Amino acid sequence: MMKKVMTALLAVGALVTLAACGGNSNDNNSSGSGSSNEKVTLKFQSLAFQKSTVAATKKIVDDWNAANPNIQVEYVQGSWDSVHDQLVTQFQGGTAPDIIHDESADITGFINQGYLADLSPYLSQQTKDAVSQGVWDTTSKDGKIYGAPTLLQSYVVFGNTALLKAAGVNATGDSLSWDDFAADAKKLTKPGKFGLGWGLKSPTATMLNLGLNFDAKYFEGSGQDAKATVGDAELEVPKRIHAMAYDDKSIDPTSLTLGGTDVLPGFYAGKYAMIVAGNYVAQQILSEAPKGFQWEVLPPLKGTSTKQAANPQTLSVPAEGKHIEQSAKFIDFFMKAENLAAVGQGDQLIPSTQAARDAIQKATGGKNGWQQTLASGTELTKAPFQSVDNYPKWKDQIATPAFQEFLANKTDLATLGKKLSDGWGQVNN
Amino acid sequence: MRTRPTTRVLQYVAVLAYLVFLGFPLLWLISSSLKSPQEFASITPSILPKHVEFSNYSDALTEQGLIRGLGNSLQISIYSTILVLIVALPVSYALARFRSRLRPLTNGWILVSQVFPVILIVIPLFMILRPLHLTNTIPGVVIVYMVWSLPFALWMLQGYVAAVPRELEEAASVDGASRLRTIVSIVMPLLRPGLIATAMFTFISAWNEFFFALVLLQDPQLKTLPLVLARFVGAEGQVQFGPLAAASVLATVPSLVFFAFLQRRLTSGLLSGAVKG
Repeated sequence: MMKKVMTALLAVGALVTLAACGGNSNDNNSSGSGSSNEKVTLKFQSLAFQKSTVAATKKIVDDWNAANPNIQVEYVQGSWDSVHDQLVTQFQGGTAPDIIHDESADITGFINQGYLADLSPYLSQQTKDAVSQGVWDTTSKDGKIYGAPTLLQSYVVFGNTALLKAAGVNATGDSLSWDDFAADAKKLTKPGKFGLGWGLKSPTATMLNLGLNFDAKYFEGSGQDAKATVGDAELEVPKRIHAMAYDDKSIDPTSLTLGGTDVLPGFYAGKYAMIVAGNYVAQQILSEAPKGFQWEVLPPLKGTSTKQAANPQTLSVPAEGKHIEQSAKFIDFFMKAENLAAVGQGDQLIPSTQAARDAIQKATGGKNGWQQTLASGTELTKAPFQSVDNYPKWKDQIATPAFQEFLANKTDLATLGKKLSDGWGQVNN
Repeated sequence: MRTRPTTRVLQYVAVLAYLVFLGFPLLWLISSSLKSPQEFASITPSILPKHVEFSNYSDALTEQGLIRGLGNSLQISIYSTILVLIVALPVSYALARFRSRLRPLTNGWILVSQVFPVILIVIPLFMILRPLHLTNTIPGVVIVYMVWSLPFALWMLQGYVAAVPRELEEAASVDGASRLRTIVSIVMPLLRPGLIATAMFTFISAWNEFFFALVLLQDPQLKTLPLVLARFVGAEGQVQFGPLAAASVLATVPSLVFFAFLQRRLTSGLLSGAVKG
């Protein structure tokens, strides 16, 4: 009996080994030199997440394939959670997909390492003109375009309509000043309830993005030569949030320790009358809010301006790709207004082109917060920190703990400024 | 010696506490898989769902290719386990039985190989596998998992081999059995619990592994279960909790079946009375 088992085990082992040696790799299913006339198949790894966005993206691929029999695109589902590690390895091994879906914050490093192709010779003038320069700047270097910006997010204020009405808070207009925002939060604060819940467990991105409201720079220069600059403008947003939490007591201090979307249950339950979160949270509210829950998006927050940092989702092509021109043509097609509007609507994200934003406005009538969400997307621009090589290191090791201590009321504003500034010297050497 | 009633009660309480500790996460997972999005967003979460929803299961099965992922994971885990056992058995026997200067070196190497972080070796590994046309293939992943699990499997099996009394092998030798015959007819049956424990460890390692599979497999048709589960997580920490919980429940079933099948064979006491003290 045991002999039979051993023989069977050895046979299976030999078969697996033989199969391994004869394994047929699909490293590159494209063929040829990349001339425009031969038939090629391009791998497009999409990170679309919501059902409706996946469907919209697949429709774009189908439409393209129907119109371009010689350039077929194969949809491959990827995941946001692991895309960076996956791409790092695939670039090293030369097996990256022909069309890469990512975000500008992540591709900055890839651009600097020369992994991405310059798309500027291939993108149409129409596409180039449709996106604002501030957004192009987030995906470009030395005048070359390394990613086409598709969708963006901004930080917006969500309000519980019933509680706003009851307190007589009526935020209308093109923008909401930080002073009015703080006053509204105070007005909405009642015993056992807070005017605002703000999930700031990972505070750095929020502080630096909204910091642009007050022209906060945090850095001067770019790359390795960048210098930290932390003054009044940079400390304005943290100072105001701290004052709302500990002087006005209009922010629930425990909410400051939660993740961005962890405040939603409290928002639905009326514990917080308002929350601040990425505009994409609207999608989650639509799918999970209790029946009858009425909500709205307030106008964009304004300091000296309503500017926020743009970190668009991007479509790129590997520098070593065999079909750069064909891949760029597909990206150009993806950038058409109707296509961007379809994927943007699915993910409740802001398209990078005005034409696509207009299409969403028309399709939705501005409902479900779209009116204010689209308005918040008009002043998204590149922030100085997006040109700094060691920003991720500074963010994780210095800024996040420093902001967390400050928001927990353990340090004062001067100490926060000093930590942010001195910490840059520690990580950038 | 009779156990006191108080001691007996305490024993039962300890066992019950341990069962709750182990069972609660599974109960929570099953309960979550039956909840609606509204229940997930409730400020007062309940252990059991207020309204049972099976739509999470249909979403999990239809949206991300869960069944295909299950099949791929099962295939890879079983092949890896078989190969590890085929290689580890003779090697661990040699390490346990033959005295040589290389033995401490070999054991040292096995120990050192366990401390390398995955991220450190994944790119060189990728570069080695690519010219061999083993990236993006199931055999390639099987070989990687085999190499990854082998050191620990050797450690485990060495201990089991060392526990088999040498006198039994000597007796077989006196009866004229060759070394191979001794291993097959005497040692292997006695090693069964050890082989099963090693098989379980290897299977679970391969079943749960994420990073190598992520890097080595690009073809959607070849994605393993952990890669499929990762697709339920979106950008900015967005998670489809219901379908993810349902997919996780379905992913747990094969492991439970595998364990249920093998644990009955994890009997000890085979050696008791084998040699006179």
